Amino acid sequence: MTRAESTRVLVIEDLVAGYGDTMILDGISLAVDPGEIVVVLGATGSGKSTLLRCIVGLVEAWQGRVLIGGRDINAASGVGREEILRGVGLAFQEAALLNSMTTAENVALPIMEHWEVDEPTALMLARMRLARVGLAGAGDKMPAELSGGMRKRAGIARAIALEPRLLLLDEPTAGLDPTTARAIDELVLGLKARGDMGIVAVTHELGSINTIADRAVMLATGTVIASGTLAEVRADPDPRVQAFFRRELLPQAARKNLVDDLEWRA
Amino acid sequence: MNDAPILCPLPERIDGDALAQIRRAALHHAAGTTVVLDCAALSTLDALAAARLLRLIAEGRAAGIAVRLAHLGDAVRRALTDVDPAILEEDLPRPRRNPIEVIGAHALDAADAAAAVGTLLTDTAAELAVPFGRRGVKWDRTVQQMALVGTEAVPIVAFISILIGVVLALNGAQQLRQFGAAIFIANLVAISMTREMGPLITAIVVAGRTGSAIAAEIGTMVISEEIDAMRTMALSPVRFLVVPKVLALLCMMPLLTVISNVAGIGGGYAVGVFGLDLGSSAYRMQTVQALLISDVATGLVKSVVFGLLIGLIGVYRGFAVRGGPEAVGRATTSAVVTSIIACIVANAGFTAFFYVTG
Repeated sequence: MTRAESTRVLVIEDLVAGYGDTMILDGISLAVDPGEIVVVLGATGSGKSTLLRCIVGLVEAWQGRVLIGGRDINAASGVGREEILRGVGLAFQEAALLNSMTTAENVALPIMEHWEVDEPTALMLARMRLARVGLAGAGDKMPAELSGGMRKRAGIARAIALEPRLLLLDEPTAGLDPTTARAIDELVLGLKARGDMGIVAVTHELGSINTIADRAVMLATGTVIASGTLAEVRADPDPRVQAFFRRELLPQAARKNLVDDLEWRA
Repeated sequence: MNDAPILCPLPERIDGDALAQIRRAALHHAAGTTVVLDCAALSTLDALAAARLLRLIAEGRAAGIAVRLAHLGDAVRRALTDVDPAILEEDLPRPRRNPIEVIGAHALDAADAAAAVGTLLTDTAAELAVPFGRRGVKWDRTVQQMALVGTEAVPIVAFISILIGVVLALNGAQQLRQFGAAIFIANLVAISMTREMGPLITAIVVAGRTGSAIAAEIGTMVISEEIDAMRTMALSPVRFLVVPKVLALLCMMPLLTVISNVAGIGGGYAVGVFGLDLGSSAYRMQTVQALLISDVATGLVKSVVFGLLIGLIGVYRGFAVRGGPEAVGRATTSAVVTSIIACIVANAGFTAFFYVTG
């Protein structure tokens, strides 16, 4: 392990992964430093969410390494894997809060399990985390009683419950109105300001990308087609990158004509 | 490959009947044949007719028959020009598998399911090896589950068991009275309930109530990514969800079985004493004399195994859910059916074992 690998919160090297026989990610490499936000962008189905699932080990890598704080999550098991995961927070796209618990209990759950604290203390800390994301007073609500934006915030509160060094955000502003989306962007920038946390945000919302990205990585069909600072990525000549940022249609390859295929020519 | 194409004229309209006729004429040929559909009579082609025609072409491709079109009019040509040829690739009907393949696939699925249940069993046992502490059994959740599994099931288990006891006694009475041996109804009811009916009735009720609830709860958590969320928080779903449920079932099944036994014997007692005038003390004495500790113990051992089967099958079906809410419904049904079958098969195995070993 090099020194750079151990100081970076996340290093992904030549990652290949997929579901069943279908390859979704093909040779992804990525690095995240503390105090920076790397935005993974790309069209729907480009493999963005699968990349996040690979980072936390929900999808097994076929090839390559995922180093979190210098430790390979795919090579770890049992207690070692648990230690690595304690340093990672993942906010799911739909929040994935446990519906049988209140919002505060959801946030308190990892605290009680991984930090040896009693329930009242864990709940107090959970309420502090909820207040941090603008959900003071919502701790006693059940997840079903929260609006979409509140659920996303609660998901982020749970993800930061253990003060992870790596925060993963899956579509944090998708489906939200512009004001709520902006509020979540500000929240993410506030978390970044802490300085020791690296953030990977998967999104295809141009507004969020412009607001939060320090660096960007663009995926298409499971490969990185552009990476660098946001300005560098924007300037990339790849037509898929240009079409994405200009909200244009991709030039279509000339389609075959069904009649040509089927017409009988003796 | 047959070189000469087979010509097949299409009618003016392609409706459902016409499709069946064209299929008979065009697709009953060997693979490698080329069939040319003559579209001369076809003046127009609406979307439904086009879909029928393309379905025929796709079925032909699946069977290795090349279907071509001849004498296309302008309207038909226009209707087909708009269609992306790629749909013929994605919509190929699946070739029918032969029965041996189907049986083999089911056998492999069953083997996979058995292996998955076995893995769940070993994972659960490994978690139970640490009963206390931060990484130990979640006793608060376990007690909660015991209330759901046990306390709330008492009325229905007792009610059904009373009725089973009544039915056993009434059926026994018809036969035994012919020989003046009506008092042996007490033996019949007591031994049947404790050895067979008590554990089995309890298992069926618990499979319906709790097995389904376990599969539905875990299945819903799977599709809403709650299980994935637990894993990313380094929380073991087995420790949090499976162990409390299985442990609750292991503890509560014998207790429910005792309640079932008592209720069933009570039902038989009511028939014997109030319906057949056998006398209260005589019936009680006969029951006590008939029952052996081994009868009761046999039933209780069975009930523990049934509880384990119901719990593991419910959990397995829940974790296996893929898709949406409909899949949760299927998992729930499947959990109940599989649990009941597994319990009946296990019961038969136990009965055979105890018969052989005396």
